[in-house]
Amino acid sequence: MGVRGMSERGKQLLLDFPPLAALREHDRKGIDEVIRLVEGCAEYKRTVAQPMALDLDERMEREPEYFEWDLMREACKYNIFSLAIPKAVGGLADKYMISGMALAVEELSSACGGIGLALAAHSLGVAPVIASGAMAHWDTVLHEIVEEEKKGNPVLMAYGITEPSAGTDVEEPEFLEVARIGMEAKKTKGGYVLNGRKCFISGGSEAKYFTVTAATDRNRPLETWTTFLVERDMEGFSTPRVELKMGQRACHAAELLFEDVFVPNSHVLGYEGDGMANGILIIMAASRGPVGAIATGIARGAYEHFLAWARERRNGKRPIDEDRIRMVLADMLGTIHENRGLYINHSLGGDALFRNAFTHPIFLAAFLIPRAIRASWPYAAFLNSYYGKSFVNILFRYFIKDEEVTDMLAKASLAKFSCADNAMELTSRALEIMGTDDSVERRWVEKAFRDAKLTQIYEGTNQLNRLAFYNTEIAKTLKVEVPGPFKKGVR
Amino acid sequence: MIKLPDFHEDQEYRILRETAAAYAAKELAPQAEQLDLDPAQWRIKEAIARAEDLGMLAALIPEDYGGGGLDDYAFCVALEEIAVEEAGVAAVLLAHNAALLPAAMGEFKALITGVGPDAYPACLAFPGDVSLSEGKVKGRVPFALNAQECSLITLLPEGGGGTQAVTVRGDAAGVEITAEPYQMGLRAARAGSIRLDDAEASNVISGGDMAGAVQRVLLLGLAAIATGISRNALQKAYAYARERYQGGKIIIEHQQMRIFLAEMLAAVEQGRALVKKACEDGGSVPAMVAWLRATEYACKSATDGVQVHGGYGYMRDYGMERLMRDAKYCQMYPMTSQEALLRLLELSEAG
Repeated sequence: MGVRGMSERGKQLLLDFPPLAALREHDRKGIDEVIRLVEGCAEYKRTVAQPMALDLDERMEREPEYFEWDLMREACKYNIFSLAIPKAVGGLADKYMISGMALAVEELSSACGGIGLALAAHSLGVAPVIASGAMAHWDTVLHEIVEEEKKGNPVLMAYGITEPSAGTDVEEPEFLEVARIGMEAKKTKGGYVLNGRKCFISGGSEAKYFTVTAATDRNRPLETWTTFLVERDMEGFSTPRVELKMGQRACHAAELLFEDVFVPNSHVLGYEGDGMANGILIIMAASRGPVGAIATGIARGAYEHFLAWARERRNGKRPIDEDRIRMVLADMLGTIHENRGLYINHSLGGDALFRNAFTHPIFLAAFLIPRAIRASWPYAAFLNSYYGKSFVNILFRYFIKDEEVTDMLAKASLAKFSCADNAMELTSRALEIMGTDDSVERRWVEKAFRDAKLTQIYEGTNQLNRLAFYNTEIAKTLKVEVPGPFKKGVR
Repeated sequence: MIKLPDFHEDQEYRILRETAAAYAAKELAPQAEQLDLDPAQWRIKEAIARAEDLGMLAALIPEDYGGGGLDDYAFCVALEEIAVEEAGVAAVLLAHNAALLPAAMGEFKALITGVGPDAYPACLAFPGDVSLSEGKVKGRVPFALNAQECSLITLLPEGGGGTQAVTVRGDAAGVEITAEPYQMGLRAARAGSIRLDDAEASNVISGGDMAGAVQRVLLLGLAAIATGISRNALQKAYAYARERYQGGKIIIEHQQMRIFLAEMLAAVEQGRALVKKACEDGGSVPAMVAWLRATEYACKSATDGVQVHGGYGYMRDYGMERLMRDAKYCQMYPMTSQEALLRLLELSEAG
């Protein structure tokens, strides 16, 4: 189908991702939206991210607490903060939510892994509000994000899972069952009191809203794992510390401190006790693919700078004129294509699964009710009640099947660990070939090398992701049961 | 602590190993993070001042000339032990000694005795593209260790079959040193690029294969430093793996973690063996092989060490991510691995 009038970036995207070109034959409007999104990110990369990424990274080594808000404000122009927010509430997420997210993230991360992370971590924070079907908060929190974004004010979210004593443990049910959990949410009148710490939370020091997981009984973490919506101005909540990271510095890794933070019942996302299935596994089934896309973006950034270096002329010679450098370039781009295959496979599959629910007429009909009513107290109270949650859940779960989510988790975990390992390998090799050349391109590739390492660690270490892949795809001992009023969540 | 396999060395090397380890533990370990984050000149000078007792400030210069009189292997042993705590400082000492090596070879006494405590660290401007004519040096060195604020620069001009070395004063007219804008690893050896525009040579030293000898010492030293980094990674990761509880047990009980640690142990063992063999056999080829492999192992050990630490490994406080950066720089300097491989075959064909 015609690509006349399409930007160079758009045309290249269709060439790089043949499945998109094939889909466009059937759904031109839907795919063209994705292309526009990527074009926007490419423009952001060219005009905003790339000009400041290198200096910002080096500056934040000396001033780890510094945060470049301009990056976030400029991102508003490209609606990057509403990528994961359903169209029904004014966001961009539609039929190709996960693919759009992954492609956008690759584009952003090819400029800077930290900037890619800053923008992706926000969407990760949004995800539990959507996946849990907590529609009462769609018209408040998500609506605020969308509206403020239009005015150029970034309202950010972050997802807090990792605890000082539990990293790998909080990513997988069989580990959570035996984990030593530090954070606790004690039931009290009208809500819960949260105490403890979360660490390494990406975007944690700038976010206004947090989705946070905590056990209501520390001795039974798996059965009582629950997701809460926490607001920055809640009493007793603070973010006392940011880490000094090796890379991806543009996005802070922060510590969240909870000292008797009261969270009302209305801020429980999903049900008490379904935090693993609803709060982690379903999110990971959607988000690990895009994390693979971050790694791919970092690798692509390294490749782009390596290529520029190879074309530089020194003493009348260009590295690219040598066969050995051409071989390396072929390997690099080949690896990037492998990665893309893995993550687009996952994200298109994920979209096919989730869009059934999010674009279904019954679901959309719920948003035909005027906003004034939707945001009113009785309606919100209904949605937050057991019956309200059950209503939304039954609707959702009708379209999203256990086996499909399990399969998504497998594909997502595979994409995550493969892309991350490949990115580490590629950036490492690029430096080995460049040596300590005094070209600025070397500094970019060094940055990519430092950035890439984190992709092997966050969103579950690569070892944990391998286990998740084994458990879901090979042994089939891990089956995600989509939680609902009549189900427990994880088996 | 994990026990490394017995490594048979003569008594003198054993003693040196212990003394170097004691120096590193006392002088470097407490400020390892600072030496990386803020490698100010005074800090470096202070850190290496005590290395004099080890003979590391003029290590390769014969004792007759007031040097340490260490042989290649002794030098590598000391570097490995120092690199276990701070690879950057080991690199400072390596580059400094490599820069003084031509003087020792050319028996240039005046130069050696002229290097007082104020003069170190000396800068090794190698490899570069420089020429010497009528006592003036011209050319450019893109990346030189110890370049910043150095008082003495050693250059190996092209031509003459690499049998000449030149020293230039750091503050001489026509010398322009630009600090490396962002040095990822081995930060204590503050690197920079050097431009020479008819700078006056303070000494011209002629002798045997200067360039070959300097390169050989560099490669051996970097291989030893890389092995030190692998050891550090192993020790840190081992200690952490015995503390960290995850998945219902301490993580050292997870097989994958044990495999990571065993790989690091193998890296140390192989690195040491290669360095020792290369020192004993002499020649460029074994040195190049030792460097190629030991640095490759160190990169893997450091990267896996970070992985064992998980998120903590990525943060500065645990001192793990520094090893990744340092190891990479050992591999990126003084040549690229592909260049080394091509050269390796060339040397073997000629021989």
